[in-house]
Amino acid sequence: MSRRGDWVYENNGGTCVAIAGADYCVVAADTRLSVGYNILTRDHSKICELADKCALASSGFQGDIKALHKNLAARELLYQHQHNKRMSCPAMAQLLSNTLYYKRFFPYYAFNVLGGLDSEGKGCVFTYDAVGSYERTGYSAQGTGSALIMPVLDNQLKSPSPLLLPARDAVTPLSETEAVDLVKDVFASATERDIYTGDKLEIVVINKAGTKREYIDLRKD
Amino acid sequence: MSIFEYNGSAVVAMVGKNCFAIASDRRLGVQLQTVATDFQRVFKIHDKLYIGLSGLATDAQTLYQRLVFRHKLYQLREERDMKPQTFASLVSALLYEKRFGPYFCQPVIAGLGEDNEPFICTMDCIGAKELAKDFVVSGTASESLYGACESMYKPNMEPEELFETISQALQSSVDRDCLSGWGGFVLLVTPTEVKECVIKGRMD
Repeated sequence: MSRRGDWVYENNGGTCVAIAGADYCVVAADTRLSVGYNILTRDHSKICELADKCALASSGFQGDIKALHKNLAARELLYQHQHNKRMSCPAMAQLLSNTLYYKRFFPYYAFNVLGGLDSEGKGCVFTYDAVGSYERTGYSAQGTGSALIMPVLDNQLKSPSPLLLPARDAVTPLSETEAVDLVKDVFASATERDIYTGDKLEIVVINKAGTKREYIDLRKD
Repeated sequence: MSIFEYNGSAVVAMVGKNCFAIASDRRLGVQLQTVATDFQRVFKIHDKLYIGLSGLATDAQTLYQRLVFRHKLYQLREERDMKPQTFASLVSALLYEKRFGPYFCQPVIAGLGEDNEPFICTMDCIGAKELAKDFVVSGTASESLYGACESMYKPNMEPEELFETISQALQSSVDRDCLSGWGGFVLLVTPTEVKECVIKGRMD
């Protein structure tokens, strides 16, 4: 903080998407890591499983993201020892917000989507800005391809307005397999037009049986 | 903020089976303030040729007037309508005339040519043509439109399906863009008829 040079941040690109359903959550991100017009690696995971029912996908500056994930994993371990249980997804959401806001004036350059199951076993998605402002939603997209993906998710999933009274559930009506197929579709489309998205798609599906990871090939150009 | 984003706009054109559709939003704003909600950005050149002009509204209107003027002179001299390809070259030439003080517009041209072959193309503000076989987009909502069209478009759609697709793509895109929206204008052109439609949308 005291000796901040000109070189502080870089954008390593990448796109993160999460969709919450009645009893599942899908968190997905591509595995490309780039700087400018160069690809550093085609096989870099952006998704971190922070607790048993909680996965965080982040794009932005991978240096900051690595530090952030490490920080959160350490805090989750402390929580386990103090409370003798794993952290819930909404608790992790609040912790992530606080962690981001703690660095309000020298932020983590990270755009996060947190997905998982809440204490009732319902799917939940939390979406963030770089300084910790967050919202619970039914679906979200973050990163370089978010502008391409978000209108398609709106079109297919159409969440109820947060202003409606009484408050409605934000979870999407799709089944788990339909949601996974939708994620594959939107990434295939984003990969066509966004140079920072591609190579491989990593999908984490969280349901009451546990979590499973799946990989799908995307375009490599 | 860029001068291209001063008024806000969204224009898209798609090709179907022996037909095409061109659509735009209807908002005219001054930065974030909405001034009009019935603004036309898609203009008719002749029965089977249309141009959508995104970008600075005043330049869009001026450019349209010059294009109509040039097309009328062409009609008088040649006693026929212009082919879309010819018209695209005309637009490109008019824009490049102002290479160092450009019109701040990004045109989208769509038409039916000889044998009712659909033609769509877009260009930048100094006339670099970009022809496409599927769809073209321009305006402040272009990134959203790319995403929506890339997901929703498929080749060789019939007119009815093309109309639905372009309307859905336009609506979902402008709803994620602050500077465009307030309903849409969709034009569907087949060899035999032209369907004009104003669609309602979110008013924010």
